[in-house]
Amino acid sequence: MTAPPLRIAGLHAGYVPGHPILRGVDLVAEAGRITVVLGPNGAGKSTLLKVVAGFLAPLRGSVMLGDDDIGALPAHRHVALGIGLLPQGRSTFPDLTVEENIELGGWSMRNDRRRLAEAVEAVLTRYPHLRALRRRAAGSLSGGQQRAVEIARMLVPDPRVLLVDEPSVGLSPIVARQVYQELQALRAEGRTILLVDQDVRAAIAVADYVYVLGSGRNDIEGDRSAFEGDLGAMVRGWLGV
Amino acid sequence: MLTHVLSIVADGVLLGLIYAITGLGLSLVLGVMGIVNVAHSAFVMLGSFLAFELFRRFGVDPVVAFVLALPVFFVLGIVVYRVVITRVQSAAQTQGLVAMFGLMVLIENLGTIAWTTDTRVVTASYTNASLVLGGVVLPHVRLIAGGLALLLIGGVWAFLRFTLTGRAIRAMGQNPEAARIVGVDIARLSAVMFGLGIACAGAAGVALAMVFPFSPNTQVVWLAWAFLVVILGGLGSVASTLAAGIAVGLIQSVCTAVMPFDTVYLVLYVLLAVILTVRREGLSRAVRRTI
Repeated sequence: MTAPPLRIAGLHAGYVPGHPILRGVDLVAEAGRITVVLGPNGAGKSTLLKVVAGFLAPLRGSVMLGDDDIGALPAHRHVALGIGLLPQGRSTFPDLTVEENIELGGWSMRNDRRRLAEAVEAVLTRYPHLRALRRRAAGSLSGGQQRAVEIARMLVPDPRVLLVDEPSVGLSPIVARQVYQELQALRAEGRTILLVDQDVRAAIAVADYVYVLGSGRNDIEGDRSAFEGDLGAMVRGWLGV
Repeated sequence: MLTHVLSIVADGVLLGLIYAITGLGLSLVLGVMGIVNVAHSAFVMLGSFLAFELFRRFGVDPVVAFVLALPVFFVLGIVVYRVVITRVQSAAQTQGLVAMFGLMVLIENLGTIAWTTDTRVVTASYTNASLVLGGVVLPHVRLIAGGLALLLIGGVWAFLRFTLTGRAIRAMGQNPEAARIVGVDIARLSAVMFGLGIACAGAAGVALAMVFPFSPNTQVVWLAWAFLVVILGGLGSVASTLAAGIAVGLIQSVCTAVMPFDTVYLVLYVLLAVILTVRREGLSRAVRRTI
Protein backbone atom coordinates (compact mmCIF):
# COMPACT_ATOMS: atom_id res chain seq x y z
CA MET A 1 0.00 0.00 0.00
CA THR A 2 1.41 3.39 -0.98
CA ALA A 3 -0.41 6.00 1.03
CA PRO A 4 0.04 9.64 0.04
CA PRO A 5 1.05 12.19 2.64
CA LEU A 6 -1.46 14.68 3.96
CA ARG A 7 -0.17 18.25 3.90
CA ILE A 8 -1.95 21.14 5.55
CA ALA A 9 -0.64 24.65 4.98
CA GLY A 10 -1.73 27.99 6.39
CA LEU A 11 -5.14 26.65 7.34
CA HIS A 12 -7.74 29.08 8.61
CA ALA A 13 -11.21 27.84 9.50
CA GLY A 14 -14.09 28.61 11.81
CA TYR A 15 -17.83 28.48 12.32
CA VAL A 16 -18.64 32.18 12.69
CA PRO A 17 -17.53 34.76 10.13
CA GLY A 18 -14.76 36.92 11.52
CA HIS A 19 -13.95 34.49 14.35
CA PRO A 20 -11.65 31.78 12.99
CA ILE A 21 -10.84 28.84 15.26
CA LEU A 22 -7.83 27.78 13.19
CA ARG A 23 -5.47 30.66 12.43
CA GLY A 24 -2.76 29.35 10.20
CA VAL A 25 -2.14 25.69 11.01
CA ASP A 26 0.64 23.86 9.16
CA LEU A 27 0.93 20.11 9.41
CA VAL A 28 2.27 17.11 7.50
CA ALA A 29 1.04 13.55 8.11
CA GLU A 30 3.54 11.28 6.45
CA ALA A 31 2.65 7.96 4.85
CA GLY A 32 2.88 4.93 7.09
CA ARG A 33 3.10 7.02 10.25
CA ILE A 34 0.80 8.07 13.04
CA THR A 35 0.75 11.83 13.32
CA VAL A 36 -0.84 13.01 16.54
CA VAL A 37 -2.43 16.39 17.16
CA LEU A 38 -2.69 17.42 20.81
CA GLY A 39 -3.70 20.57 22.59
CA PRO A 40 -5.93 21.99 25.28
CA ASN A 41 -9.68 22.35 24.88
CA GLY A 42 -10.48 25.03 22.33
CA ALA A 43 -7.12 24.72 20.58
CA GLY A 44 -8.85 23.72 17.35
CA LYS A 45 -8.03 19.99 17.18
CA SER A 46 -11.52 18.78 16.29
CA THR A 47 -12.05 21.75 13.98
CA LEU A 48 -8.86 20.75 12.16
CA LEU A 49 -10.17 17.24 11.66
CA LYS A 50 -13.57 18.55 10.53
CA VAL A 51 -11.85 20.56 7.80
CA VAL A 52 -9.64 17.68 6.69
CA ALA A 53 -12.68 15.37 6.63
CA GLY A 54 -14.70 17.81 4.53
CA PHE A 55 -17.30 18.77 7.12
CA LEU A 56 -16.08 22.35 7.32
CA ALA A 57 -14.77 24.41 4.43
CA PRO A 58 -11.47 26.20 5.04
CA LEU A 59 -11.46 29.99 5.00
CA ARG A 60 -7.87 30.04 3.78
CA GLY A 61 -5.01 27.65 3.28
CA SER A 62 -4.79 24.25 1.66
CA VAL A 63 -5.37 20.59 2.50
CA MET A 64 -3.40 18.44 0.06
CA LEU A 65 -3.61 14.68 -0.28
CA GLY A 66 -0.60 13.88 -2.41
CA ASP A 67 -1.01 16.31 -5.30
CA ASP A 68 -4.77 16.77 -4.88
CA ASP A 69 -6.24 19.74 -3.05
CA ILE A 70 -9.12 18.23 -1.07
CA GLY A 71 -9.92 21.32 1.00
CA ALA A 72 -13.06 22.20 -0.92
CA LEU A 73 -14.38 18.67 -1.32
CA PRO A 74 -17.54 17.75 0.62
CA ALA A 75 -17.27 14.94 3.16
CA HIS A 76 -19.04 12.30 1.10
CA ARG A 77 -16.41 12.52 -1.65
CA HIS A 78 -13.49 11.75 0.64
CA VAL A 79 -14.14 8.01 0.78
CA ALA A 80 -13.59 7.62 -2.95
CA LEU A 81 -10.19 9.33 -2.52
CA GLY A 82 -9.14 6.73 0.02
CA ILE A 83 -9.81 8.73 3.18
CA GLY A 84 -11.55 7.14 6.16
CA LEU A 85 -12.85 8.94 9.22
CA LEU A 86 -13.34 7.50 12.69
CA PRO A 87 -15.28 10.27 14.43
CA GLN A 88 -15.47 11.03 18.11
CA GLY A 89 -18.34 9.31 19.93
CA ARG A 90 -20.81 6.80 18.54
CA SER A 91 -21.34 6.83 14.79
CA THR A 92 -23.02 3.51 14.09
CA PHE A 93 -26.45 3.30 12.52
CA PRO A 94 -28.17 1.91 15.61
CA ASP A 95 -31.21 0.27 14.01
CA LEU A 96 -29.22 -1.42 11.24
CA THR A 97 -27.52 -4.74 11.86
CA VAL A 98 -23.78 -5.00 12.26
CA GLU A 99 -23.54 -6.51 8.79
CA GLU A 100 -25.64 -3.71 7.28
CA ASN A 101 -23.46 -1.12 9.02
CA ILE A 102 -20.31 -2.69 7.66
CA GLU A 103 -21.78 -3.10 4.20
CA LEU A 104 -22.62 0.62 4.10
CA GLY A 105 -18.93 1.29 4.63
CA GLY A 106 -18.59 0.15 1.02
CA TRP A 107 -21.19 2.59 -0.31
CA SER A 108 -18.58 4.02 -2.70
CA MET A 109 -18.23 0.49 -4.19
CA ARG A 110 -21.99 -0.03 -4.64
CA ASN A 111 -21.75 -0.36 -8.42
CA ASP A 112 -19.44 -3.35 -8.08
CA ARG A 113 -21.40 -5.68 -5.79
CA ARG A 114 -18.90 -8.53 -6.08
CA ARG A 115 -16.04 -6.32 -4.96
CA LEU A 116 -18.20 -4.94 -2.17
CA ALA A 117 -19.11 -8.44 -0.96
CA GLU A 118 -15.44 -9.43 -1.00
CA ALA A 119 -14.47 -6.30 0.93
CA VAL A 120 -17.13 -6.95 3.58
CA GLU A 121 -15.98 -10.56 3.86
CA ALA A 122 -12.36 -9.44 4.23
CA VAL A 123 -13.30 -7.11 7.08
CA LEU A 124 -15.36 -9.80 8.83
CA THR A 125 -12.37 -12.13 8.48
CA ARG A 126 -10.16 -9.45 10.01
CA TYR A 127 -12.55 -9.00 12.94
CA PRO A 128 -14.05 -12.48 13.45
CA HIS A 129 -15.90 -11.51 16.62
CA LEU A 130 -18.09 -9.22 14.51
CA ARG A 131 -19.15 -12.13 12.32
CA ALA A 132 -20.90 -13.67 15.31
CA LEU A 133 -22.67 -10.36 15.96
CA ARG A 134 -23.56 -9.60 12.37
CA ARG A 135 -27.33 -10.09 12.77
CA ARG A 136 -27.50 -7.91 15.90
CA ALA A 137 -28.67 -4.31 15.75
CA ALA A 138 -25.59 -2.13 16.13
CA GLY A 139 -27.35 -0.03 18.76
CA SER A 140 -27.70 -3.07 21.02
CA LEU A 141 -23.92 -3.59 21.26
CA SER A 142 -21.55 -2.39 23.96
CA GLY A 143 -19.48 0.74 23.39
CA GLY A 144 -16.39 -1.30 22.57
CA GLN A 145 -18.26 -3.51 20.13
CA GLN A 146 -19.74 -0.48 18.41
CA ARG A 147 -16.25 0.99 18.12
CA ALA A 148 -15.16 -2.23 16.43
CA VAL A 149 -18.08 -1.95 14.00
CA GLU A 150 -17.08 1.64 13.22
CA ILE A 151 -13.48 0.63 12.56
CA ALA A 152 -14.58 -2.32 10.42
CA ARG A 153 -16.98 -0.09 8.47
CA MET A 154 -14.22 2.45 7.89
CA LEU A 155 -11.90 -0.24 6.51
CA VAL A 156 -14.31 -1.73 3.92
CA PRO A 157 -13.15 0.57 1.08
CA ASP A 158 -9.53 -0.01 2.22
CA PRO A 159 -8.70 3.68 2.89
CA ARG A 160 -5.07 4.79 2.63
CA VAL A 161 -5.51 7.73 4.98
CA LEU A 162 -7.27 7.45 8.33
CA LEU A 163 -8.56 10.45 10.27
CA VAL A 164 -9.17 9.47 13.88
CA ASP A 165 -10.84 11.73 16.44
CA GLU A 166 -10.43 10.80 20.13
CA PRO A 167 -10.92 7.07 19.61
CA SER A 168 -10.98 6.10 23.29
CA VAL A 169 -13.74 8.43 24.46
CA GLY A 170 -16.35 6.49 26.43
CA LEU A 171 -14.45 3.20 26.30
CA SER A 172 -13.09 1.09 29.14
CA PRO A 173 -9.29 1.19 29.55
CA ILE A 174 -8.96 -2.36 28.17
CA VAL A 175 -10.99 -1.62 25.05
CA ALA A 176 -9.22 1.71 24.60
CA ARG A 177 -5.87 -0.09 24.67
CA GLN A 178 -7.14 -2.47 21.99
CA VAL A 179 -8.18 0.47 19.81
CA TYR A 180 -4.69 2.00 20.01
CA GLN A 181 -3.16 -1.40 19.25
CA GLU A 182 -5.38 -1.58 16.17
CA LEU A 183 -4.19 1.86 15.07
CA GLN A 184 -0.62 0.57 15.30
CA ALA A 185 -1.57 -2.46 13.20
CA LEU A 186 -3.14 -0.17 10.59
CA ARG A 187 0.04 1.91 10.53
CA ALA A 188 2.07 -1.24 9.96
CA GLU A 189 -0.01 -1.76 6.81
CA GLY A 190 1.35 1.51 5.46
CA ARG A 191 -1.67 3.72 6.08
CA THR A 192 -1.34 7.42 6.87
CA ILE A 193 -2.98 8.13 10.22
CA LEU A 194 -3.85 11.56 11.59
CA LEU A 195 -4.91 11.14 15.22
CA VAL A 196 -6.51 13.94 17.24
CA ASP A 197 -6.67 13.06 20.89
CA GLN A 198 -7.21 14.27 24.45
CA ASP A 199 -5.61 11.17 25.92
CA VAL A 200 -2.10 12.59 25.80
CA ARG A 201 -0.30 9.57 27.22
CA ALA A 202 -2.01 6.99 25.00
CA ALA A 203 -1.66 9.10 21.87
CA ILE A 204 2.02 9.83 22.37
CA ALA A 205 2.66 6.13 23.02
CA VAL A 206 1.58 5.30 19.46
CA ALA A 207 2.74 8.52 17.75
CA ASP A 208 5.54 8.89 15.27
CA TYR A 209 5.26 12.66 15.18
CA VAL A 210 3.36 15.06 17.43
CA TYR A 211 1.91 18.50 16.83
CA VAL A 212 0.56 20.58 19.69
CA LEU A 213 -1.92 23.29 18.83
CA GLY A 214 -2.55 26.35 20.95
CA SER A 215 -5.28 28.89 20.22
CA GLY A 216 -5.69 27.69 16.66
CA ARG A 217 -1.99 27.85 15.77
CA ASN A 218 0.97 25.50 15.79
CA ASP A 219 2.57 25.60 19.20
CA ILE A 220 5.24 22.93 19.45
CA GLU A 221 6.02 19.82 17.44
CA GLY A 222 8.51 16.99 17.29
CA ASP A 223 9.14 13.27 17.21
CA ARG A 224 7.60 11.11 19.90
CA SER A 225 10.86 11.07 21.81
CA ALA A 226 10.56 14.81 22.36
CA PHE A 227 7.28 14.29 24.23
CA GLU A 228 8.14 11.27 26.33
CA GLY A 229 9.33 13.30 29.29
CA ASP A 230 7.11 14.91 31.85
CA LEU A 231 3.71 14.77 30.19
CA GLY A 232 2.13 16.01 33.37
CA ALA A 233 4.05 19.26 33.09
CA MET A 234 2.90 19.73 29.52
CA VAL A 235 -0.77 19.21 30.40
CA ARG A 236 -0.44 21.49 33.44
CA GLY A 237 1.00 24.08 31.09
CA TRP A 238 -2.10 23.80 28.87
CA LEU A 239 -4.32 24.22 31.87
CA GLY A 240 -2.25 27.15 33.15
CA VAL A 241 -1.73 25.67 36.62
CA MET B 1 -74.53 -10.90 12.87
CA LEU B 2 -71.16 -12.56 12.24
CA THR B 3 -71.42 -11.76 8.55
CA HIS B 4 -72.13 -8.15 9.42
CA VAL B 5 -69.09 -7.97 11.71
CA LEU B 6 -66.86 -9.64 9.11
CA SER B 7 -68.09 -7.15 6.49
CA ILE B 8 -67.19 -4.25 8.79
CA VAL B 9 -63.75 -5.71 9.46
CA ALA B 10 -63.05 -6.46 5.79
CA ASP B 11 -64.18 -2.99 4.80
CA GLY B 12 -62.03 -1.43 7.51
CA VAL B 13 -58.93 -3.39 6.54
CA LEU B 14 -59.28 -2.56 2.85
CA LEU B 15 -59.85 1.12 3.63
CA GLY B 16 -56.97 0.98 6.08
CA LEU B 17 -54.57 -0.25 3.43
CA ILE B 18 -55.41 2.82 1.35
CA TYR B 19 -55.03 5.09 4.38
CA ALA B 20 -51.69 3.44 5.10
CA ILE B 21 -50.25 4.48 1.73
CA THR B 22 -51.80 7.92 2.20
CA GLY B 23 -49.70 8.31 5.36
CA LEU B 24 -46.68 6.30 4.23
CA GLY B 25 -44.94 9.00 2.20
CA LEU B 26 -45.56 11.58 4.92
CA SER B 27 -44.21 9.23 7.58
CA LEU B 28 -41.07 8.33 5.63
CA VAL B 29 -40.25 11.91 4.65
CA LEU B 30 -40.80 13.10 8.20
CA GLY B 31 -39.09 10.14 9.85
CA VAL B 32 -36.04 9.96 7.60
CA MET B 33 -35.60 13.57 6.55
CA GLY B 34 -37.32 15.48 9.35
CA ILE B 35 -39.48 17.34 6.86
CA VAL B 36 -43.08 18.09 7.80
CA ASN B 37 -44.50 18.06 4.31
CA VAL B 38 -47.89 19.68 4.79
CA ALA B 39 -48.20 19.77 0.99
CA HIS B 40 -48.30 15.95 0.99
CA SER B 41 -52.08 15.83 0.62
CA ALA B 42 -51.97 18.24 -2.32
CA PHE B 43 -49.96 15.59 -4.18
CA VAL B 44 -52.53 13.01 -3.09
CA MET B 45 -55.16 15.21 -4.72
CA LEU B 46 -53.07 15.53 -7.88
CA GLY B 47 -52.82 11.72 -7.97
CA SER B 48 -56.62 11.50 -7.86
CA PHE B 49 -56.90 13.93 -10.78
CA LEU B 50 -54.21 12.06 -12.71
CA ALA B 51 -56.41 8.97 -12.50
CA PHE B 52 -59.47 11.06 -13.39
CA GLU B 53 -57.89 12.67 -16.47
CA LEU B 54 -56.28 9.47 -17.72
CA PHE B 55 -59.61 7.69 -17.40
CA ARG B 56 -61.69 10.51 -18.87
CA ARG B 57 -59.42 11.36 -21.80
CA PHE B 58 -57.85 8.03 -22.68
CA GLY B 59 -59.96 5.45 -20.89
CA VAL B 60 -56.94 4.34 -18.87
CA ASP B 61 -57.90 1.97 -16.08
CA PRO B 62 -57.12 3.28 -12.57
CA VAL B 63 -54.92 0.22 -11.99
CA VAL B 64 -52.69 1.40 -14.84
CA ALA B 65 -52.91 4.97 -13.53
CA PHE B 66 -51.70 3.70 -10.13
CA VAL B 67 -48.60 2.20 -11.76
CA LEU B 68 -48.03 5.30 -13.91
CA ALA B 69 -48.39 7.61 -10.93
CA LEU B 70 -45.30 6.14 -9.26
CA PRO B 71 -42.65 7.35 -11.76
CA VAL B 72 -44.57 10.54 -12.58
CA PHE B 73 -44.84 11.63 -8.95
CA PHE B 74 -41.35 10.39 -8.13
CA VAL B 75 -39.94 12.82 -10.71
CA LEU B 76 -42.31 15.55 -9.50
CA GLY B 77 -41.09 14.99 -5.95
CA ILE B 78 -37.46 15.33 -7.00
CA VAL B 79 -38.27 18.57 -8.84
CA VAL B 80 -40.06 19.94 -5.74
CA TYR B 81 -37.10 18.92 -3.58
CA ARG B 82 -34.60 20.65 -5.85
CA VAL B 83 -36.67 23.78 -6.48
CA VAL B 84 -38.34 24.35 -3.10
CA ILE B 85 -36.83 22.35 -0.30
CA THR B 86 -33.15 22.88 -1.02
CA ARG B 87 -33.85 26.62 -0.91
CA VAL B 88 -35.57 26.65 2.46
CA GLN B 89 -34.04 23.74 4.38
CA SER B 90 -31.37 25.92 5.97
CA ALA B 91 -33.93 28.56 6.96
CA ALA B 92 -35.79 28.70 10.25
CA GLN B 93 -38.31 25.93 10.90
CA THR B 94 -41.32 28.21 10.61
CA GLN B 95 -40.13 29.56 7.25
CA GLY B 96 -39.85 26.04 5.86
CA LEU B 97 -43.27 25.11 7.19
CA VAL B 98 -44.79 28.25 5.68
CA ALA B 99 -43.12 27.46 2.36
CA MET B 100 -44.66 23.97 2.28
CA PHE B 101 -48.02 25.38 3.37
CA GLY B 102 -47.75 27.89 0.54
CA LEU B 103 -47.04 25.07 -1.90
CA MET B 104 -50.13 23.23 -0.65
CA VAL B 105 -52.34 26.29 -1.11
CA LEU B 106 -50.82 26.91 -4.55
CA ILE B 107 -51.49 23.36 -5.74
CA GLU B 108 -55.03 23.37 -4.33
CA ASN B 109 -55.85 26.66 -6.04
CA LEU B 110 -54.32 25.59 -9.33
CA GLY B 111 -56.42 22.43 -8.97
CA THR B 112 -59.54 24.53 -8.41
CA ILE B 113 -58.76 26.61 -11.52
CA ALA B 114 -58.19 23.48 -13.59
CA TRP B 115 -61.01 21.29 -12.28
CA THR B 116 -63.29 23.64 -10.30
CA THR B 117 -64.62 22.59 -6.89
CA ASP B 118 -67.04 20.08 -8.39
CA THR B 119 -66.87 16.62 -6.91
CA ARG B 120 -65.52 13.98 -9.32
CA VAL B 121 -65.59 10.21 -9.41
CA VAL B 122 -63.68 7.62 -11.40
CA THR B 123 -66.08 4.93 -12.52
CA ALA B 124 -64.21 1.93 -13.85
CA SER B 125 -65.90 -1.13 -15.34
CA TYR B 126 -65.64 -2.93 -12.01
CA THR B 127 -66.72 -0.03 -9.79
CA ASN B 128 -70.12 -1.47 -8.97
CA ALA B 129 -69.13 -5.15 -8.93
CA SER B 130 -68.61 -7.11 -5.75
CA LEU B 131 -67.22 -10.39 -4.58
CA VAL B 132 -69.36 -12.28 -2.08
CA LEU B 133 -67.49 -14.63 0.24
CA GLY B 134 -69.61 -16.49 2.77
CA GLY B 135 -72.09 -13.68 2.79
CA VAL B 136 -69.41 -11.00 3.19
CA VAL B 137 -69.66 -8.46 0.38
CA LEU B 138 -66.30 -7.21 -0.90
CA PRO B 139 -66.57 -4.48 -3.53
CA HIS B 140 -64.11 -5.15 -6.37
CA VAL B 141 -62.92 -1.59 -6.35
CA ARG B 142 -61.92 -1.75 -2.68
CA LEU B 143 -60.28 -5.14 -3.15
CA ILE B 144 -58.25 -3.81 -6.07
CA ALA B 145 -57.34 -0.52 -4.42
CA GLY B 146 -56.45 -2.31 -1.18
CA GLY B 147 -54.43 -4.92 -3.05
CA LEU B 148 -52.50 -2.23 -4.94
CA ALA B 149 -51.86 -0.41 -1.66
CA LEU B 150 -50.58 -3.61 -0.06
CA LEU B 151 -48.27 -4.23 -3.03
CA LEU B 152 -46.89 -0.70 -2.78
CA ILE B 153 -46.35 -1.01 0.97
CA GLY B 154 -44.57 -4.33 0.45
CA GLY B 155 -42.45 -2.85 -2.31
CA VAL B 156 -41.39 0.15 -0.22
CA TRP B 157 -40.66 -2.11 2.74
CA ALA B 158 -38.54 -4.45 0.61
CA PHE B 159 -36.72 -1.50 -0.99
CA LEU B 160 -35.81 0.00 2.38
CA ARG B 161 -34.88 -3.34 3.92
CA PHE B 162 -33.11 -5.28 1.20
CA THR B 163 -31.44 -2.79 -1.15
CA LEU B 164 -28.23 -0.94 -0.37
CA THR B 165 -29.87 2.36 -1.35
CA GLY B 166 -32.78 1.60 0.98
CA ARG B 167 -30.37 0.84 3.80
CA ALA B 168 -28.50 4.06 3.07
CA ILE B 169 -31.80 5.94 3.34
CA ARG B 170 -32.49 4.34 6.72
CA ALA B 171 -28.91 5.07 7.77
CA MET B 172 -29.34 8.69 6.72
CA GLY B 173 -32.40 8.95 8.97
CA GLN B 174 -30.52 7.46 11.94
CA ASN B 175 -27.23 9.31 11.67
CA PRO B 176 -26.83 11.72 8.75
CA GLU B 177 -23.25 12.69 9.66
CA ALA B 178 -22.15 9.05 9.74
CA ALA B 179 -23.90 8.53 6.41
CA ARG B 180 -21.74 11.28 4.94
CA ILE B 181 -18.68 9.67 6.47
CA VAL B 182 -19.32 6.44 4.55
CA GLY B 183 -19.72 8.45 1.35
CA VAL B 184 -23.46 8.93 1.05
CA ASP B 185 -24.39 12.09 -0.85
CA ILE B 186 -27.10 13.29 1.53
CA ALA B 187 -28.55 15.86 -0.87
CA ARG B 188 -28.93 13.31 -3.65
CA LEU B 189 -30.39 10.60 -1.45
CA SER B 190 -32.73 13.09 0.20
CA ALA B 191 -34.07 13.95 -3.25
CA VAL B 192 -34.65 10.23 -3.88
CA MET B 193 -36.37 9.86 -0.51
CA PHE B 194 -38.61 12.86 -1.09
CA GLY B 195 -39.41 11.57 -4.59
CA LEU B 196 -40.39 8.24 -3.06
CA GLY B 197 -42.64 9.99 -0.55
CA ILE B 198 -44.40 11.98 -3.25
CA ALA B 199 -44.69 8.86 -5.44
CA CYS B 200 -46.54 7.19 -2.53
CA ALA B 201 -48.76 10.29 -2.24
CA GLY B 202 -49.62 10.22 -5.96
CA ALA B 203 -50.36 6.50 -5.90
CA ALA B 204 -52.49 6.98 -2.77
CA GLY B 205 -54.44 9.63 -4.65
CA VAL B 206 -55.22 7.15 -7.42
CA ALA B 207 -56.32 4.51 -4.90
CA LEU B 208 -58.53 7.02 -3.06
CA ALA B 209 -60.06 8.15 -6.36
CA MET B 210 -61.10 4.56 -7.03
CA VAL B 211 -63.07 4.46 -3.77
CA PHE B 212 -64.17 8.00 -2.86
CA PRO B 213 -65.50 11.06 -4.68
CA PHE B 214 -62.97 13.89 -4.65
CA SER B 215 -62.38 17.53 -5.48
CA PRO B 216 -59.38 19.85 -5.08
CA ASN B 217 -60.68 20.75 -1.59
CA THR B 218 -60.78 17.14 -0.43
CA GLN B 219 -57.02 17.21 0.08
CA VAL B 220 -57.43 18.88 3.48
CA VAL B 221 -59.34 15.83 4.69
CA TRP B 222 -56.61 13.53 3.38
CA LEU B 223 -53.98 15.63 5.16
CA ALA B 224 -55.78 15.04 8.48
CA TRP B 225 -56.05 11.32 7.66
CA ALA B 226 -52.38 11.11 6.75
CA PHE B 227 -51.32 12.87 9.97
CA LEU B 228 -53.61 10.60 11.99
CA VAL B 229 -51.86 7.57 10.49
CA VAL B 230 -48.43 9.09 11.12
CA ILE B 231 -49.17 10.11 14.70
CA LEU B 232 -50.75 6.75 15.48
CA GLY B 233 -48.02 4.71 13.80
CA GLY B 234 -44.94 6.71 14.59
CA LEU B 235 -42.37 7.80 12.09
CA GLY B 236 -40.34 6.15 9.38
CA SER B 237 -41.56 2.59 9.95
CA VAL B 238 -43.42 0.94 7.08
CA ALA B 239 -44.86 -1.80 9.30
CA SER B 240 -46.13 0.67 11.92
CA THR B 241 -47.67 2.84 9.22
CA LEU B 242 -49.46 -0.20 7.81
CA ALA B 243 -50.80 -1.10 11.26
CA ALA B 244 -51.87 2.49 11.92
CA GLY B 245 -53.59 2.75 8.54
CA ILE B 246 -55.56 -0.43 9.21
CA ALA B 247 -56.46 0.83 12.69
CA VAL B 248 -57.82 4.08 11.23
CA GLY B 249 -59.71 2.13 8.57
CA LEU B 250 -61.25 -0.16 11.17
CA ILE B 251 -62.23 2.76 13.42
CA GLN B 252 -63.89 4.49 10.50
CA SER B 253 -65.62 1.31 9.40
CA VAL B 254 -66.98 0.56 12.87
CA CYS B 255 -68.05 4.17 13.42
CA THR B 256 -69.82 4.23 10.07
CA ALA B 257 -71.73 1.08 11.05
CA VAL B 258 -72.87 2.23 14.48
CA MET B 259 -73.37 6.00 14.23
CA PRO B 260 -74.61 8.59 11.77
CA PHE B 261 -72.12 9.17 8.94
CA ASP B 262 -71.82 12.87 9.73
CA THR B 263 -70.29 12.08 13.11
CA VAL B 264 -67.62 9.69 11.78
CA TYR B 265 -65.23 12.48 10.83
CA LEU B 266 -65.88 14.11 14.20
CA VAL B 267 -64.81 10.91 15.96
CA LEU B 268 -61.62 10.68 13.88
CA TYR B 269 -60.69 14.32 14.50
CA VAL B 270 -61.34 13.88 18.24
CA LEU B 271 -59.13 10.79 18.09
CA LEU B 272 -56.41 12.87 16.43
CA ALA B 273 -56.68 15.48 19.22
CA VAL B 274 -56.65 12.81 21.94
CA ILE B 275 -53.56 11.07 20.55
CA LEU B 276 -51.74 14.39 20.26
CA THR B 277 -52.67 15.18 23.85
CA VAL B 278 -51.62 11.78 25.17
CA ARG B 279 -48.40 11.78 23.14
CA ARG B 280 -47.43 15.20 24.34
CA GLU B 281 -44.30 15.37 22.28
CA GLY B 282 -46.48 15.06 19.15
CA LEU B 283 -44.19 15.04 16.17
CA SER B 284 -41.44 17.02 17.82
CA ARG B 285 -39.15 14.09 18.58
CA ALA B 286 -38.76 13.39 14.92
CA VAL B 287 -38.58 16.94 13.71
CA ARG B 288 -34.98 17.87 13.28
CA ARG B 289 -35.78 20.52 10.75
CA THR B 290 -39.33 21.40 9.95
CA ILE B 291 -39.95 22.10 6.29
